[in-house]
Amino acid sequence: MEVKAVSVSGLNKWFGQHHVLRDVSFSLAKGEKIVLCGPSGSGKSTLIRCLNGLESFAEGEVAVAGAILSQSPASLRQIRQMTGMVFQHFNLFPHLTVLENLTLGPVSGRREPQQQANRRALELLERVRLGDQARKYPGQLSGGQQQRVAIARTLMMRPQVILFDEPTSALDPEMVHEVLDVMEELAREGQSMIVVTHEMGFARNVADLVIFMDAGAIVETAPPLTFFSRPATERARMFVRQIGHDAHLEGVAVRE
Amino acid sequence: MTTMPLSRAMAAENAAARPAPPAPSRFVRTRQQLFASPGAGVVTVVAALALAAILWPAIRWALLDAVWYAPEGAAACAQPGAGACWAVIAEKYAVILFGNYPYDEQWRGMLIVGVWIFWALLSALRFVPVRIRLAGWALIFVGSILLMGGGVFGLTPVGTDKWGGLPLTFLIFGGTVAGGLPLAVALALGRRSRLPILAALCTGIIEFTRGVPLLVVLFFAALILPLFLPPELNVNKLVRAEIGMIVFFAAYAAEAIRGGLQSLPNGQDEAAKALGLSYVLRLRKVILPQAIAAALPSLFNDIVRAFKNTTFFSILGLFDVLGATKIALQDPEWIRYTTEGYLFIFALYFVFGSGLSLYGRALERAHLTRLRKAGK
Repeated sequence: MEVKAVSVSGLNKWFGQHHVLRDVSFSLAKGEKIVLCGPSGSGKSTLIRCLNGLESFAEGEVAVAGAILSQSPASLRQIRQMTGMVFQHFNLFPHLTVLENLTLGPVSGRREPQQQANRRALELLERVRLGDQARKYPGQLSGGQQQRVAIARTLMMRPQVILFDEPTSALDPEMVHEVLDVMEELAREGQSMIVVTHEMGFARNVADLVIFMDAGAIVETAPPLTFFSRPATERARMFVRQIGHDAHLEGVAVRE
Repeated sequence: MTTMPLSRAMAAENAAARPAPPAPSRFVRTRQQLFASPGAGVVTVVAALALAAILWPAIRWALLDAVWYAPEGAAACAQPGAGACWAVIAEKYAVILFGNYPYDEQWRGMLIVGVWIFWALLSALRFVPVRIRLAGWALIFVGSILLMGGGVFGLTPVGTDKWGGLPLTFLIFGGTVAGGLPLAVALALGRRSRLPILAALCTGIIEFTRGVPLLVVLFFAALILPLFLPPELNVNKLVRAEIGMIVFFAAYAAEAIRGGLQSLPNGQDEAAKALGLSYVLRLRKVILPQAIAAALPSLFNDIVRAFKNTTFFSILGLFDVLGATKIALQDPEWIRYTTEGYLFIFALYFVFGSGLSLYGRALERAHLTRLRKAGK
């Protein structure tokens, strides 16, 4: 059997007495894309933060590209070097230039020669259409530009899978598409990814599978067309109606 | 039925960008500030008169009527109408600046003071890379100790009990900052550690040290500690007092750095973790550069205070600049002019202290420029 990019089985997590992830199991095949959605507080972000060890969990098993995650520093480093993450608030390093943000991981963490890392970084910046911004500091860029730098920073590590934690929800509306365009391009090139987002257009165009969560548990999984047009559960139907309504207000076309 | 709103708006008729209207000249603005209202005008005039009333006699005493040079002795200063007797400085500068250090070897102290000031000025300019600055300081610090102590390269040995004056002040200060900053970082990280015993230990050291006066710390280190230590551990008084200074400085600086650490959003550490960086690399490359930059204002408070705290060494019988000045002014011939001597020390501390402050502010500005329009 082929090694999965990510496999999760029987994941359970509590914050104190609050059961925030309930028996979550799923797997992501190499080159495929999963969109995770659900109402706020449903555990989507907590789930993907468990996948690279930013959150610990009480029960269950997580494996990335066949390597099993444990809480030892060595295992955490190994998993994180294979797993990219793009955050809602970008989390670029404000004291470093765009170029230094990109090369920090490979040069300091993996001892890649600085020259080679710089060359790769400039190529990647070109790809996210920021070739002319390498010497600037993050504070001088717009939100959309910062998020594209964050994506390039993650790509520098040549990750097996990239985790996107609501990558467009902190952006001004007119900048959302420039980030989504870059993500769709990556998806077309066969990058495995798990995306927490409510962008239905993106899910339709890109996702192989939509996972809908509520109250810490997976409620429904389906290909995007099925999920958005004929949700099986009442909970998912309400959710789709709700975000469809929002998307309509923002002028994004919603197919009935 | 839809009613027309009563509110109105108009599209701009001429929306082309044009230059801002000219601002009033500096003279006009200053006049507006000084005489904004009749009341403000009165305050301005009264304050200006009061200032003049204080400044004019001070200037006459310190500059116009001052005796600058008296090769014949203190008699020149005793003439009626004579102002400040700066001649006391010209007469006693060797003792004030170098303490009891042997007269023939005072070129060493002069060399040290010169090199320190030169390198400090060079460090304040941006074009010297940070690595070279720090390596230079390390070299200069060790070199200064060797030069003061002698016993190498054919230099006559000079015991630390003879060290004194400005070179000693510089060495105490340099050692405090060089030893205290790493200790402060360690204490700040330790206090935030998830290991309960380590955290309690660091918190204990910080709170205990901050809870006692520096004088008590120094007395303890210099005078009481040796009573409890076995003789073979008995390092000399200067080193013991210096350790006390370092711990005292570190306890305060640790709190400043902890403030800097707390000001960092969690996302910074998470982003560094997500890149697979180890704890040490995250600290070195992501956390500490930002935390220390954020702590700079209060950190420089502590650094300037460390410079001024060197004066406490005179109480332990070690002759920093203040202690050396005290000896210099015991000469019965000049004893009437201690005020001038202390004013000179006052000016000396003011120059070095405000120089440090200016340097701290320049560092802050450089950091802020970098974060300008910070995205978060």
